[in-house]
Amino acid sequence: MKLRLCTIAAGALFAGAALAQDAYVIGVSGAMTGPVAGNYAPVVEAMKAYLEHVNGKGGVNGRKVRVVVLDDQAQPSRAAANAKQLLAQEKVLMLLNTSLSSTYAPMVGESKRAGVPLYFAGSVCPKETYPPADPLQFCSTAFGANLDSQAALAFVRSQAKQPVRIGFAAMAIPIARAEIDYAEGLSKTLGMTPVEKQISPPPTPDYTPFATKLKDANPNWVFSWSPWVSQVRTFEAMRRLGWSGSYITWAHLNAEEELARIRDGQFYVFGTNAFVEDNLPVHAEIRAVAARANLRYPVSYLTEGFVAGLVIENALKNTPWPPTPQKALAAMNRLKVDLKGLRGGPLEWTKENHFRTRQYYRVWRWDPAKNQIARVQDWQAIEVKR
Amino acid sequence: MNVARSSGYYRTRYGEDFALLDTKTQKAWCAVFVAALLAYPFVAGPLALDLANQVLLASLGAIALMLLTGYAGQISLGHAGLLAAGAFTTGILFKELAAPFWLTLPAAALAGAALGVIFGLPSLRLRGLYLAVSTLALHFIVIYAGGEYETRRGFSTGIIVDPPRLGDWALDEPRAWYFVLLAAAAATLLFAANLLRSRTGRAWRAIHGREAVAAALGISVHRAKLSAFVVSSTITAIAGCLFAYYRGFVSAEAFSLYLTIEYVAMVIIGGMGSLLGALLGTVFVVLFPYAIDAAMNLLGLAERLSSVVFAVNYSAFGLVMILFLVFEPQGLVGLWRRAQDWFLLWPFKQRPLAGPR
Amino acid sequence: MQIAVNIAVLASIYALICCGYVLIYRATRVLSLAHGELMMLGAYGLYATASLFKGHPLIALAAAAGLALAVGLAVYAALMWRMTGESVLAAVLATIALGILLRGAMMLAFGTLTQHPLRDLGWENASIGLPGGARISAVGAALILSTGLVYGGLFAFLRGTRWGMRMRAAGQNPLLAAQRGIGLHGIYALSWGLATFTGGLAGMLIALDAGLESTLVIIGLKAFPAALVGGLDSLVGALAGSLVVASAEVLLIQYVDPLLSDVVPFFVLLAMLVVRPWGLFGTREELDRV
Repeated sequence: MKLRLCTIAAGALFAGAALAQDAYVIGVSGAMTGPVAGNYAPVVEAMKAYLEHVNGKGGVNGRKVRVVVLDDQAQPSRAAANAKQLLAQEKVLMLLNTSLSSTYAPMVGESKRAGVPLYFAGSVCPKETYPPADPLQFCSTAFGANLDSQAALAFVRSQAKQPVRIGFAAMAIPIARAEIDYAEGLSKTLGMTPVEKQISPPPTPDYTPFATKLKDANPNWVFSWSPWVSQVRTFEAMRRLGWSGSYITWAHLNAEEELARIRDGQFYVFGTNAFVEDNLPVHAEIRAVAARANLRYPVSYLTEGFVAGLVIENALKNTPWPPTPQKALAAMNRLKVDLKGLRGGPLEWTKENHFRTRQYYRVWRWDPAKNQIARVQDWQAIEVKR
Repeated sequence: MNVARSSGYYRTRYGEDFALLDTKTQKAWCAVFVAALLAYPFVAGPLALDLANQVLLASLGAIALMLLTGYAGQISLGHAGLLAAGAFTTGILFKELAAPFWLTLPAAALAGAALGVIFGLPSLRLRGLYLAVSTLALHFIVIYAGGEYETRRGFSTGIIVDPPRLGDWALDEPRAWYFVLLAAAAATLLFAANLLRSRTGRAWRAIHGREAVAAALGISVHRAKLSAFVVSSTITAIAGCLFAYYRGFVSAEAFSLYLTIEYVAMVIIGGMGSLLGALLGTVFVVLFPYAIDAAMNLLGLAERLSSVVFAVNYSAFGLVMILFLVFEPQGLVGLWRRAQDWFLLWPFKQRPLAGPR
Repeated sequence: MQIAVNIAVLASIYALICCGYVLIYRATRVLSLAHGELMMLGAYGLYATASLFKGHPLIALAAAAGLALAVGLAVYAALMWRMTGESVLAAVLATIALGILLRGAMMLAFGTLTQHPLRDLGWENASIGLPGGARISAVGAALILSTGLVYGGLFAFLRGTRWGMRMRAAGQNPLLAAQRGIGLHGIYALSWGLATFTGGLAGMLIALDAGLESTLVIIGLKAFPAALVGGLDSLVGALAGSLVVASAEVLLIQYVDPLLSDVVPFFVLLAMLVVRPWGLFGTREELDRV
């Protein structure tokens, strides 16, 4: 048995490159298993399902799109190995990363060495995609460092009637800590008083000790920007301690169902993706695609992956056959994707700007009186400039 | 070495007892093997080459752990922490001082040696499980320090390390890396094999066997333990430095407890107390996930079950580890020896002796 | 006052988890690193029974607890009995491998999304006011209560019953115990069953409080220093160790730096290993026999 396995493996190793290159090949390294898979696997699945749907309609420029997905379990070393494998073996046109931010550095290194564009479609957009952008790094995900804090704090200021005493909460992962530090600095320039900052380690059995400290500082607003667990559990713990202020936090994939679970009128979430309850035509499309691919995730989890699918489809449309990473890169450098209402406007990449030229934010909360989600602020644009 | 031959071969001088390769056939096979290793990068595809590099890189760490655990009998669960120490020394020196690799490599080795003393100190008082736990605690502390450095300096997604340079030439080509890593692995292997034939190596085995007897034989138990930790950590830290350059990045998340588990699995699956075992275990553990992937692709399962493939792969690793522990506690090296015996004794059947040889 | 409550809740979480480590270790001399996964399996058991017995939350809880006990017995019968007599490292690695296998299997069976068993059971995690202005969540109170019950029950079981005495005897000297006619496999299986039961209970309560997601596994590992600080073969020690580690964590969060709370358990552990390796209440001679 073992011997057979080995020969199979060896055969696949040496023969792999001979697979027909009659398609646009995209390589994905994603956190398909491991502790954070819940946030990233739906993105990959939705993106794949959309591109399969495109293939079913005849593909892009008459060619199929082949998506090679490798699992990195959110481990940096595996992401590096995956990137190597995708580049060397599959000769992909672009690399996709849908994993924790800790996998960015290794994939950036590999993409640089190979000169292949790297597209972040799962986690926080790194600053390198903002203008002036790194020539190879692109990003379409909803969250963007610094801009998010600007949007959230602007909302807080627009809502507040008394002076704002603001508290901060984040998970102890580098990217969240950096953002919350930025937000703390920003709040001072906006005339708010930062009163307390709590950083909790990733697996925390009980958030109450952190919440106690935060509550003791007596803030009337708290801003949190982290993975969902840390955001929501800090809030719930604070409420249980009798805190009555307002809490604003990032709308992750699961925001809609969580708002309905928490049912708190002062719990605000802000984000850039339209909610499924809006029932736009595009949502019906997502549902259809998901049903065809037999996806097990709720539709609200699929928006981000659908956006990635649209982006890839559009980028490949402008990549003439036979494709090369350089051609794909050129196409990505002048990209404008109509997102059909999934966001406040089209997603636009230029040579200077690999994030988007304009980022639109909405804010929602639960309306206890009407027992439904209420939109507190409609699309608010922030220009993304250098 | 040290394997009793069944018949027809007698050693007549003490020197022969020390020889690493003692028969002509062995020497011939060894030459063929070396030639095959040297030719490998010219026939292998890009993925196969990267896999070979991964194996070679991991073999350094596995040999180091084998020296410590398989020979000196000191259990350590801090292996990933030591790798991290080497990698972070490299990353920090590179970022802060733009130090070239001929500075970072010895610095990483020094850091490893120093940490080896610290990791080894608990071993003077503790044994077995308690020692394992104390090294585990040290692992968390090293990783915490590394993570703090990253965050405080703003490298929130990891430190990117440029490939090592010699003048105009940069080491960034997989084939060049193959030869560098092969040389490093071969040097480590030879060093380890030689060390084990020396006074130090014999002292390690003695304290593994029984500390009281070793002390009665005039072996300084403390010194032997500390030296085992220092040698092992130095090699490990050097492996960490090479890791940083080969992967091109350093980050605290890359050195999770899972990495330690993989190394321990290499040592156990390979077979305790054997350098060959360390190598076989490394090959097995590194290639296993790829083998499963390839098998599923070949059977056409990957397309049908795309959403579960990764979960299956994940659990398969656990399952195989359990099967090895239950059915072949002596590891791959046990299988290897049994196959050897079978051929040596053929056409006679041999009943394997109980217990380790 | 709130701080005292926080310490009590955190300590009872740790204590409830730790008692699994201790039960397995003191009987079989194996350190189970699959405990986190078994906790999670217990929580998923509750998730499954919650949908099975809709509207009967207590039946669901009882069924899930029974399931956890059965899982523990099964783990011993299927795997761990084969590891008796193997080296410490091999046995520990077997539990690690079991953990990996279980994690993959749970991913296959239940997916990767966060679940909320509390909602499935139809309960609310209310906040209860205590004298002195402190507040405690309903699940937190339930945690303290069940930790008390579990430890009380275990003490009574170990001191007062025939099986408990056999269990202690097997832990003290397996050879003598076996010669006196005690079936070691039965005792070992029982300790795995009990450990998984208590661990599963901890998993369920944490999942009720926080939702069921994969970081539960890591929480299982985080409780481990507490078991060692108290002494791996002592239940009293597990309680004391949990209290020490939880106090250190909560006080540091409150008065020094919340970031430290992640490594502090390990600092406490190291300090303990240097000063008193066998823990606060552990048995000294055990050390040489490992």
